[in-house]
This record gives sequence, C-alpha cells and structure tokens, in this order.
Amino acid sequence: MKKTVLVLSLIVFTNVLFAQTKKTTSATVAFDATTALDALPKAENKTVIAEIDTQTGQIGFEAAVKNFTFPKPTIQEHFNEERWLNSNKYPAFTFMGKISEVTKYNFSNNGIYNVTVTGQLTIKDKTNNITTSATIEVKNGTLVAAATFTIVLADYGVQVGNSGKIAGEPKITVSAELK
Amino acid sequence: MTEKTANKKGWVKKALIALLSIFLLGVVSFWYILNENFKDTALTESTFTVNAQELINAFQTNDSLANATYQEQLITVHGRITETEAADTTVNIKFVDPITDSYLIFAFQAQHISDAKILEAGDSVAIKGSCSGNIYSQLRKANMISFKRAVLVEKFRNFKQ
Repeated sequence: MKKTVLVLSLIVFTNVLFAQTKKTTSATVAFDATTALDALPKAENKTVIAEIDTQTGQIGFEAAVKNFTFPKPTIQEHFNEERWLNSNKYPAFTFMGKISEVTKYNFSNNGIYNVTVTGQLTIKDKTNNITTSATIEVKNGTLVAAATFTIVLADYGVQVGNSGKIAGEPKITVSAELK
Repeated sequence: MTEKTANKKGWVKKALIALLSIFLLGVVSFWYILNENFKDTALTESTFTVNAQELINAFQTNDSLANATYQEQLITVHGRITETEAADTTVNIKFVDPITDSYLIFAFQAQHISDAKILEAGDSVAIKGSCSGNIYSQLRKANMISFKRAVLVEKFRNFKQ
C-alpha cells in the first residue's frame, strides 16, 4: 500500500514538474526606442502572459499596452495616445509562434538550449512575421527564457517622424520564468 | 533712413523675437519632461477603494463600464493574496477568481519592491496601484486586470484557524 502511494505521488509530482505547458503571468517585456538625442523613450511591462508548450514548441505572449511603465509621465502618455499605440482601441500586443525544430531539444533535462523562434507579432491590429534567436534554460522543471530582437515601428502603422529622438527600430527584450 | 528700411528692420526684429520665443518654449518643455517624475503612489490618495473579488466581477460583468471607471485611476484593493509570482528581479502580487481564473495583478513601484517580496499567498492586504484596465487573454481564457506603480498599504494580521 505504502509503495503504491509512493509511486502514485512520484507520478503526480513528475507530471507537475515536467508538465508540457509552462506558464507565467509575470514575464517581462522591455521596449527601448532611445537614440543619441533622447534617452527617455524606453519602458517595461512585468505583467506579460507567456506560455511555452515544450512538446509542440508553441509559444505565446500577451501584454497589456497600458501596463508599460515609462520613467516619465509625458512619454508614457504619448506612447498610449492615438497616433502612437492607440491603447484605448488596441489594448494588447500578442506574439504567437513556435520553436523551430523543437524535437531536437529535450526540455525535460536541465541545461541551456539555444533555439530559434518564429512567429507573428500583432501590434495595433497589424501582424508581421518575427524570427529571433532565444535561450531557454531548464532548471528542475522551470524554464527561464530570454530573447532580444528589433521591430520596425512603421510596419505596425507607427510613424516616428524625422526628429531623431525616437528609434524607428526599437529593441525588444523578453524574459520569462515559466513553471 | 527710408520708410522701406525701417519696415525691414521691424520685420527682422519680430522674426528674431518669434524664433527666440520658440527656442525658449522648447527649452522649457524639454526641461519639464526631463525633470517630471511619477509621484510616489504611497503619498497619493486613491480614487476608489474596493474588494479584489468585487473588482474582478465588475470587469467580468461589464468590461467597457469598468474600464471607463477604473482605467488610469489609483485604486486601493483589499483582499487575500492568491499567488506571488517572480517577475524578473521583482515579485508580482495576484488575486485570482477561483471560478473563472480571471485575476488582478500588481507590479510594484521601484522604491516599494521590497514590500512585495515579503508578501505570501494567503496574506490579507490592502494594495494601491494605477489600474491599466482589462484585456481578455486568449491564452488563459480569462480576464487580466493589471496594475502598475503599486504599493503595499497595509498587511493585516492573519488569524490561523
């Protein structure tokens, strides 16, 4: 009887630890559109939803545009207004993608995996393909994922003008601890 | 001096004053933006004080009305913490509706992050933050109501049963 309970407990524990879908609601996405002329347009959002299916390689991210925090109130206001991200009309950013050749990786084993992620990023209802390299570190069933890439704001209907104060191709940094 | 020359000098003077005014306005605006900061949430009065589950219900019942009422407002929320979650070098605090999985999530203001780190699931607290409104998550099939620049107002004593 004791053995049965022990075996069942181990199975449950192992399933929880190595569940196929790893999740968090506290991923971080940082947005950096600073230039040599202006160090202010940068922000981060620490309440981003993220999921990775370690079997199929499916990846998803969802972020509330209004929860990006800037160091300066005026810049944050501009970021959300109609001619920029228009967050009242388009309240979320989404990324839906996949780890390329996911069968090459065994995320059940601890280690650092360098992967390629391809998918579609949607901002202001405009969707574009993104391909980026990423690292996934597995530590006892927890995945720590990180990626950095750039986007072209004009592809999402955001015009930055010619002032040189805002980068037209801001750097996006993503980090997430998924359980 | 002819009348034509005098007129020309007058125009040049006006143009210079206009340019100088624009320049000064630019400098003042730049200076203002550079030096403005978000106020410490702990020192700012909240517009609403609500219970966590009631706030989730408000967004689930009428999303548009709740967004119009609460978005970009400082709100003090009372409730029992369901979950704390690591977020980069900080910790986010969550109140989750056990039936629908919809939730409130608070990201703390930089100078108050240490307060978030001492909180645990089950703690009864009052937390104040700037409400960013609601998005419906396609991944989680639930509503996420997020807050930024949050602070711990009070941690109430937990009575063991």
